[in-house]
Amino acid sequence: MAVTVSIPTILRTHTGGEKSVEAKGSTVGEVIDDLESRHSGIAGRLITDGSLHRFVNIYVDDEDIRFAGGLQAPVGENSNVTILPAVAGG
Amino acid sequence: MARYDSLLQAVGDTPLVGLPSLSPAENVRLWAKLEDRNPTGSIKDRPALAMVEKAEADGLLTPGCTVLEPTSGNTGISLAMACKLKGYRLVCVMPENTSVERRQLLRMYGAEIISSPAAGGSNQAVAMAKKLAAENADWVMLYQYGNPANADAHYRTTGPEILRDLPGITHFVAGLGTTGTLVGTGRYLREHKPDVQVVAAEPRYGELVYGLRNLDEGFVPELYDPDVLTARYSVGSRDALRRTRQLVDQEGIFAGISTGGILHAALAVAEKAAGAGESAEIVLVVCDGGWKYLSTGAYSGELDEAVEGIEGHLWA
Repeated sequence: MAVTVSIPTILRTHTGGEKSVEAKGSTVGEVIDDLESRHSGIAGRLITDGSLHRFVNIYVDDEDIRFAGGLQAPVGENSNVTILPAVAGG
Repeated sequence: MARYDSLLQAVGDTPLVGLPSLSPAENVRLWAKLEDRNPTGSIKDRPALAMVEKAEADGLLTPGCTVLEPTSGNTGISLAMACKLKGYRLVCVMPENTSVERRQLLRMYGAEIISSPAAGGSNQAVAMAKKLAAENADWVMLYQYGNPANADAHYRTTGPEILRDLPGITHFVAGLGTTGTLVGTGRYLREHKPDVQVVAAEPRYGELVYGLRNLDEGFVPELYDPDVLTARYSVGSRDALRRTRQLVDQEGIFAGISTGGILHAALAVAEKAAGAGESAEIVLVVCDGGWKYLSTGAYSGELDEAVEGIEGHLWA
């Protein structure tokens, strides 16, 4: 099933400058594997030692995957997956 | 009690009001904690005063000292009021893409502002403040992102007030910036009611704000404790603004834009509960009023134009 993945500026070197790309998978982990097969190197920027990079946040339909099963978080059909760097507030 | 010896004593004990029109069902109710009723008009009066008083108690702050803080606005304004009344000089490091009202308020209270580049966002303001602190050994950086007195202020006041006013609370929804509100209030609530859901609403800005961000220079506040949270939503400018307007329109509450983001997450939670046939008593935080954001055009004209107007701004 196809999902749309929003790519932050800093990672667009892997997607030929594309802001959003299509990917397949029923979990976030599968989506990242699918991305890697076409945009080599991107998985290494997102995952370190098998878990999500400390300063990377991934959202499925606006919900942070760290509270929804991590890389096992389910991705529904037509979901939007958003990748963002962690930023400060306050 | 409604009589206080000075403005500094009037922080906290804010009203909790029902949102009958926005609540999706009879047994799924939304409640707003009106933090704009604090002395300088935002929730940040609680942590700001707590951090100053802790530094005084620890002997770090003595009359005539200079206080330094990285802030996108509200914490700076709260500190500026406290520093004015207590006789400290305040230097704020603030991203340049924050609203003109925030700058005017800070200057009015006598604070000095050092601007950090818009493209670097709050991350760079934090980095600049840390550098300034290292260069000026006699300045006291309270550092809201890592100061336990920030979360502790909410653990001691915001949490107990909410539980006192709504013992049946099931969900607490607040903004995620320094993480002090969520971690402090959430920790108190979960200690007393382990099943309470603690939900974060995090602002998602336009391209400009994230543009040059390097993943390895990311920032997670030292106070952040993910074990206290049960869900975290990212809310874009459009949804935040749409909900901010809806809050005025349906409940008469004129709030700042970050509150719209929090309402968006609270409504998602409410709809989930209603859909599952569960009862819910959901408390959301109204962080501040809308006054400081009028110049951004957030409250007038077509939504699309207003969204464009706040793109690139740090609205939380």
